[in-house]
Amino acid sequence: MELETNYEIASTADFIHTRNFTRVALQFPDNLLKDSVRIVRALSAKLRSLRDSDGDNKDVGLFVMADTTYGSCCVDEVGASHIDADCVIHYGHTCLSPTTKLPAFFVFGKASISKSKCVENVSKHALTNDKPVLVLYGLEYAYAISHIRVALTEASTSCVSGSKLDINFASVICSVIDPAEDHKSIHGSAGDSTTNGSFGKEAGTRYAIGGLNWNIPEGHKMEDCLLFWIGSDNSAFANVVLTFNGCEIVRYDATEDYLVTDVSQQLRILKRRYYLVEKAKDANIIGILVGTLGVAGYLDMIHQMRELITRAGKKAYTLVMGRPNPAKLANFPECDVFITVSCAQTALLDSKEFFSPVITPFEAMLAFNRGSQWTGAYVMEFRDLMSSLPVEVRNQSEARFSLIKGGYIEDFDQQDTVIGKENKEGALALANATEKALKLNDGNLNSIIKGTAKSGAEFFLSRSYHGLEINGDSSPEPYVIGRSGKASGYEDEKIKQER
Amino acid sequence: MDRCFLELQVDGEEAYQTFSRVIENANVIMATYEDPLLGDVMVYPEKGTVAFSAGLHGWAFTLTNFAKMYASKFGVDESKMMERLWGENFFDPATRKWTSKNTGTATCKRGFVQFCYEPIKQIINICMNDQKDKLWPMLQKLNVTMKSDEKDLMGKPLMKRVMQTWLPASSALLEMMIFHLPSPSTAQRYRVENLYEGPLDDQYANAIRNCDPDGPLMLYVSKMIPASDKGRFFAFGRVFAGKVSTGLKVRIMGPNYVPGEKKDLYTKSVQRTVIWMGKKQETVEDVPCGNTVALVGLDQYITKNATLTNEKEVDAHPIRAMKFSVSPVVRVAVQCKVASDLPKLVEGLKRLAKSDPMVVCTMEESGEHIVAGAGELHLEICLKDLQDDFMGGAEIIKSDPVVSFRETVIEKSSRTVMSKSPNKHNRLYMEARPLEDGLAEAIDDGRIGPRDDPKIRSKILAEEFGWDKDLAKKIWCFGPETTGPNMVVDMCKGVQYLNEIKDSVVAGFQWASKEGALAEENMRGICFEVCDVVLHADAIHRGGGQVIPTARRVIYASQLTAKPRLLEPVYLVEIQAPEQALGGIYSVLNQKRGHVFEEMQRQGTPLYNIKAYLPVVESFGFSSTLRAATSGQAFPQCVFDHWDTMSSDPLESGSQAATLVADIRKRKGLKEQMTPLSDFEDKL
Repeated sequence: MELETNYEIASTADFIHTRNFTRVALQFPDNLLKDSVRIVRALSAKLRSLRDSDGDNKDVGLFVMADTTYGSCCVDEVGASHIDADCVIHYGHTCLSPTTKLPAFFVFGKASISKSKCVENVSKHALTNDKPVLVLYGLEYAYAISHIRVALTEASTSCVSGSKLDINFASVICSVIDPAEDHKSIHGSAGDSTTNGSFGKEAGTRYAIGGLNWNIPEGHKMEDCLLFWIGSDNSAFANVVLTFNGCEIVRYDATEDYLVTDVSQQLRILKRRYYLVEKAKDANIIGILVGTLGVAGYLDMIHQMRELITRAGKKAYTLVMGRPNPAKLANFPECDVFITVSCAQTALLDSKEFFSPVITPFEAMLAFNRGSQWTGAYVMEFRDLMSSLPVEVRNQSEARFSLIKGGYIEDFDQQDTVIGKENKEGALALANATEKALKLNDGNLNSIIKGTAKSGAEFFLSRSYHGLEINGDSSPEPYVIGRSGKASGYEDEKIKQER
Repeated sequence: MDRCFLELQVDGEEAYQTFSRVIENANVIMATYEDPLLGDVMVYPEKGTVAFSAGLHGWAFTLTNFAKMYASKFGVDESKMMERLWGENFFDPATRKWTSKNTGTATCKRGFVQFCYEPIKQIINICMNDQKDKLWPMLQKLNVTMKSDEKDLMGKPLMKRVMQTWLPASSALLEMMIFHLPSPSTAQRYRVENLYEGPLDDQYANAIRNCDPDGPLMLYVSKMIPASDKGRFFAFGRVFAGKVSTGLKVRIMGPNYVPGEKKDLYTKSVQRTVIWMGKKQETVEDVPCGNTVALVGLDQYITKNATLTNEKEVDAHPIRAMKFSVSPVVRVAVQCKVASDLPKLVEGLKRLAKSDPMVVCTMEESGEHIVAGAGELHLEICLKDLQDDFMGGAEIIKSDPVVSFRETVIEKSSRTVMSKSPNKHNRLYMEARPLEDGLAEAIDDGRIGPRDDPKIRSKILAEEFGWDKDLAKKIWCFGPETTGPNMVVDMCKGVQYLNEIKDSVVAGFQWASKEGALAEENMRGICFEVCDVVLHADAIHRGGGQVIPTARRVIYASQLTAKPRLLEPVYLVEIQAPEQALGGIYSVLNQKRGHVFEEMQRQGTPLYNIKAYLPVVESFGFSSTLRAATSGQAFPQCVFDHWDTMSSDPLESGSQAATLVADIRKRKGLKEQMTPLSDFEDKL
């Protein structure tokens, strides 16, 4: 039955059964929700048969979860803990971010791929190129990779020219994540594939991204490789392009069966991100968006960000708002920039619709650590970031060059902290702050200029509307009859239209 | 001068006429800056205040050089000789007599021509023709001795060398400085009023006035000069009072310093004091007032200019910063050839911006680095500096010059447009219309702005631009950047909660007016009228999150329905040329979409003054084309003048403006297709 193989019912049931889980949460992305009922049915049947054969009569509760608060690629641990689940089965596309509390089993699904055409494309491209080829792929194609590799080795041996193809395959880290273990240790289970013979023997540099990992033998650099991506143009691919922006990258679209060699659009994203970093440097108020409640270490990251921002003399507010959208973010017009702490694949939010730019923690570190420079390297996962930190903020008072404003500007707040240190007595500092806030207020009455206010309160003062006037005319207004009807056209408006 | 002799081969009298016109022009310009404190600012060749030079070849002379030479020869007074070498004084060698009019005989020539121009011409011709047998005796007569290896030179290099030895530019310049520029002690007496920002009777003003070496230190840093070691700068400036010495702790007041505050203020030690002499520099113990000095160790704290004083002098005011009246209009995008050189590029741009106060380095939304300069040539020099000096030779790629456009509308919106908020509970109705003629300029000039007294503002608007008095009071804001030449006007009647969403609408307007709907260029000359709003009764549902994006959308929709157009920047070009060059000028201007609006013959000369408008886009390579077309007889000067509406419709596919919009969008990394109106406008 197609459903069984496609959704790996057998291995899922085995996973639940061997580990003795009783309450299991099944997490579906929106596009797979239609299959959920059939999966639950198949899964419980399978479990029952396993139980019967074992002579065990514990009942397993299966719960379907949908519409996650954050990205559907991450394990929704909060949702799962609502039903007191002791493990999560995740379906569909995933970023394979480690979990904090619950063990998780991932079912990637199986997208159809024409193996022969794929092999043909890979070998054709590898032959015309003298660089070693590294094949990466979307997780939905993981099941087919071992076949492709076998087919490729056959193809290359039968090749008349005899030139040896240097093709490496990345392997899937695992399909089970256990929170108890250290995040960094990787247990190669499910064995979809292993790297090309060199696995574990040769010392080399190990790379991992979005659930894939591979070794580069010593003496080689990533830049020397040609990356061959099998899969669609999704956020996982964008991550690969950004992270390995020094490599030549080719994408093979399996559904449409064609090769995309020009990824300049993706590289444009890199430049755009670079602009956002520069823009963030000019920001005074920063909003930290909590974009995940599941990915391990997210709290540490938020703390780290807060510390970083305070050290840079800026103001930070932490906001929890689920999946960010322009309307939600524009409710905080005082924030000059937002940092989203989330899994690597939902972190890249760039749309002209946002009132203020949204950047990743890595970009925030570039922006708020004075003296750190963009070298072209790019880190998406914040777990990789935490190890690299902290770079000491060089305490230099050189005026900062702002590429947005096109000149040297002064970080006023740095001056403020200096003043703050001098006036140790809190009262005096407070008086100073008030004085400053008042001064700013009469400078620009009723105008919102982005990036001038230094805290939310100050921003509010500069607005023309401060809420209800307490000292206003206290005589009660006569009541007015309000509107009635629907928002798409109130009743009085309908009448107007008809006329 | 070198062009007179080598390229144009003009004869003496013609050259004299050209020179006297140049001097006259210069005097006219200088007269506009006349200041009673400064005294006579005119220059006169006969007083030795004009040097004639060939900068390229490194030689120059003032009339003094020649007057000295001939004074001893003829046995006349030097000052008398000076007078005769310029103006209406003619000499006839046949009669050996001076006259004040040309007598008409073949040998009678103007003093300048006879004694200055002709000898130089002769020497240059001899050199160029390699007639060395004639050259050496002549040089001996002039007391010019050449080094033996220089005698082997031929042609142009020989001429250059000979002229440099005979009439070195440096001594002409130095002579003028010594004899004609006032000494610091004289100059500072009257300059103090213009120099010092503080009260003119405090001890600092007095110290500057008296150029007092024992007074408090007053030093103005005017330029940052890149040093040979990477990333460092010398702070170059003049000591106006007191003394600056190695190791001295100084108070650095930056351009944003406000007396009494701590902003832009640093106290640091001077590591070394250096006197700068041409290419050489010498470290000295201290430098007293009246001198220029280069300081080491302060470059991190000085961005472009600063005033330095002693550590203790906390009540000193800064010295007024220099202003530059040229604006950076020509921009190119630069990127490095090797991606990993990016930090070098950023560092280089920083240093470029520091070393040249005229250049502006910014960044586009797409992540491109933009360098803006005053003109094509200036930019070329900047980019060369950037690559060679500031980036250690790392290669950069520069784009074609980038010109910024503006977006405007030419009619009132064809209908009132409406946009709904994301939650569909709020609706904004708006219309766009062009601002009255001259209003955008009035906002640019600051005659009308957000800080005005509303009464005065409405008076100007009513009287000059025919606005309704009440309407003038309902201006919500200007934009972009709260001061730009666009505005939002409230036309609603009796709407509840309107004051609550005003801030959000203003924020959305600032955003939208900065990035117009056509090509995300700034808007210009558009008035947005808020016609009606429908708001949700619950405050949280009409918050900024709902209204800001909606305001932006409705502004775009109203812009698109009001016949949007692009505005292109236009230069005012002034060209001076003789009559025979006019044909060439006209054809080049035609070919570059320029048009002449004034042509005037300068009285008493064969020269014409031409004024024309030239689109900035077409101005790249204009000077060189013009020179080629007029064999170097026309000299253009370009100044930004105004914004010109492009007549073609950017919404009509295939039109000139539409291609332009597509190009800009492509460069900015946007979707090449404009967002259609339907994405901004909603239906009830």
